[in-house]
Parts: sequence; C-alpha cells; structure tokens
Amino acid sequence: MSEAAAALYVYGVVSASTQPDGTGIGARPVELVAERDVGALASFVPAGEFGEAALRERLEDRAWLERTAREHEDALERALAATAVIPFRLCTVYESRDGLREFLSAHGPALAGLLRRLDGRVELGVKTYFAEAQAATGEPQSGREYLLRRQREREAAEEAARFKVECARASHERLAAAAEEARANPPQPPELSGRTDEMLLNGAYLVRRDDRRLTDAVAELESLYGPRGVTYEITGPWPPYNFVPPEVVGT
Amino acid sequence: MTQGSRLPDVRPGSGQPAQLADVLERVLDKGIVIAGDIRINLLDIELLTVRIRLLIASADKAKEMGIDWWQGDPFLRRGDGDGSALESRLRRLEERAGLPVEEEERSER
Repeated sequence: MSEAAAALYVYGVVSASTQPDGTGIGARPVELVAERDVGALASFVPAGEFGEAALRERLEDRAWLERTAREHEDALERALAATAVIPFRLCTVYESRDGLREFLSAHGPALAGLLRRLDGRVELGVKTYFAEAQAATGEPQSGREYLLRRQREREAAEEAARFKVECARASHERLAAAAEEARANPPQPPELSGRTDEMLLNGAYLVRRDDRRLTDAVAELESLYGPRGVTYEITGPWPPYNFVPPEVVGT
Repeated sequence: MTQGSRLPDVRPGSGQPAQLADVLERVLDKGIVIAGDIRINLLDIELLTVRIRLLIASADKAKEMGIDWWQGDPFLRRGDGDGSALESRLRRLEERAGLPVEEEERSER
C-alpha cells in the first residue's frame, strides 16, 4: 500500500530489535516502525477507512468489531510469544509514519523502561463464579412453616452476601500474593460472561511466563471454596493490558 | 479449574479461543489510551456503549451487593484510601443485615 493514501494502525510497542511477522487488521501485514530503542507494531491501512467518521460507523458493525478485536489481539499474542509487548487499545491510528515516530521519540525512555519491566511477564485472568444454593421447594404445610422458611431464606441470603465479599477478597489477596502485580476489575454480568453463575471476581495478574504459583494458588482456592459452590477460570496468557500505567505516555 | 483454563505455559493461540467479552474488555478499555492521531471516544459509539454499559452496570450492581471492595482498597489502589474502606463497608452491610458487628480486626495488607 502506498504510504500517501495510508494511515498506520498500531497494535502496540515492542523493542526495536523485534522481527514483525504475520498479519493483523484486515489480513494486512504487521510491520515495525522503529525509533531508537523501541518500535511500534503497525499495519498500513487505508486512511479513508480508518478516519474518525469511518471508524465511528464501522465500530457500530458488530461483526466488524468482533473480527477487528480478535485481529488486534492475535497480532499482539503472536508478538507476546516472542517478546515483551505494551498493548495499545483498539483502533489507535496515526495519520503518518512521522507522527508515529514522533510519539515513539517523545515517550521512548518511558516505553523502553516499561518494556524492561514487562520482559518475561504475561497477564493471566482469573474469574471466580458462585453458584447460589437453591431454596427449599414445595408448598409449606402451615403458616408457621412458611414463616420459618422465609426466615431461613433471609438468613441464607445474608450469609451468602457475606460469603461472596469474603471469598472475592480472599481469593484476590491470595492470587495477588502469587503475582508481581494484581488488579481487580468489575465482575462481568451474565450477559457478558455467558454464564448464569454470578461472577465474584474478575482479576488480572502479572506473572513471570514460567511461574506456576498463580495456577497453584487457583488450585488451592478451588479446593478451599469449591465445596461452597465457587469455581475458578483462568484465561490467558494475555498481553499485559491491565499493567500499562497511564503515566507511561504522560497522562 | 474449568474447561476455559489455559495454563501459563500454553503458547498463545494454541488453547481455546478467548471469550469475546474478555477480549473486548481488554482491547476497548485497557492498554495505552492516549496515543494516536485519531481519538475516538469509544463511549460515543452506540453498539460499544451497550457493552460498556453492561460493564458499568456490573460495577454498580457489585456496589449494591457490597462487593465493590476494589474501589477503595488500598491494597488494590496503592496510596489511595485510608485502609478502612472495606471494613466500614462490611460494617454497613452487617448493620443493614441486622447482624452484630464483628469486633475482630481484619487483616489489612
């Protein structure tokens, strides 16, 4: 693609010695735009299709959004298999190579420092679900039984509420102790998680790639809380999306 | 662990594809956000707003349930908060539930 008609879609930042490979957005090749120590993994895309107005429209297209999100993620995961990566958010677009190089130049030392910090690390996600116990069924045989049952249900709900807070916090604390950095994000609602069980914890953990302590901690928590209806799900390895401090680009 | 588990030594791409919600949560909301010549406010996008609203709604719902402990937790947000946020929240929850307030000190990191 001729650069005159092209904008640069950026996936993330890597060291300048990284060999880019494979394809990204719209099956376009992933290239490296380097500036001193650091480089951006990027693809040339048609400026018209990735301008503000065009993007605004395309982001409304669910199929396009899903495909693009996966292409963005796949390009970063491929790089992550070989090197440290600072992931960018979806649809970060530069109008020219010079503009991108200016960004890399202005933030070079901070980006290089963060790359050293993230070297050999990946992000793992841990989601914790809770299956609420079923209430008693069948018609109560008396008014007294009805009241007793109501009281027991109320007590069980209070107990469950306390347990959920305690379990989420204890789980995150245990997992954070097995990681270098940790973040708890808002639990996803069932419409997002695709599960009917309630999500208690939606955590992200920065770990060394070969470190098994986090998975060991998950197994430990599962044997502790599993009997009470709690399940754990590990996702990743992810590029360290949750561990890019905002101040790295001076915000 | 459930079927969705991918261990850290599994190479990216070789496991099951990640759930879309997990991908969107990361690529839309995390990573470097102040970069690029084109800066679209993703919150303006209608379809995205549906997803993001769900994420925000989940935070609000968690708050109602008292499990928004990460909001003011000094362990999670270092240097931000006085360390008693969770305790006071638990206390409020317990009071609302009509339970005796526990006297024991909860360990804070």
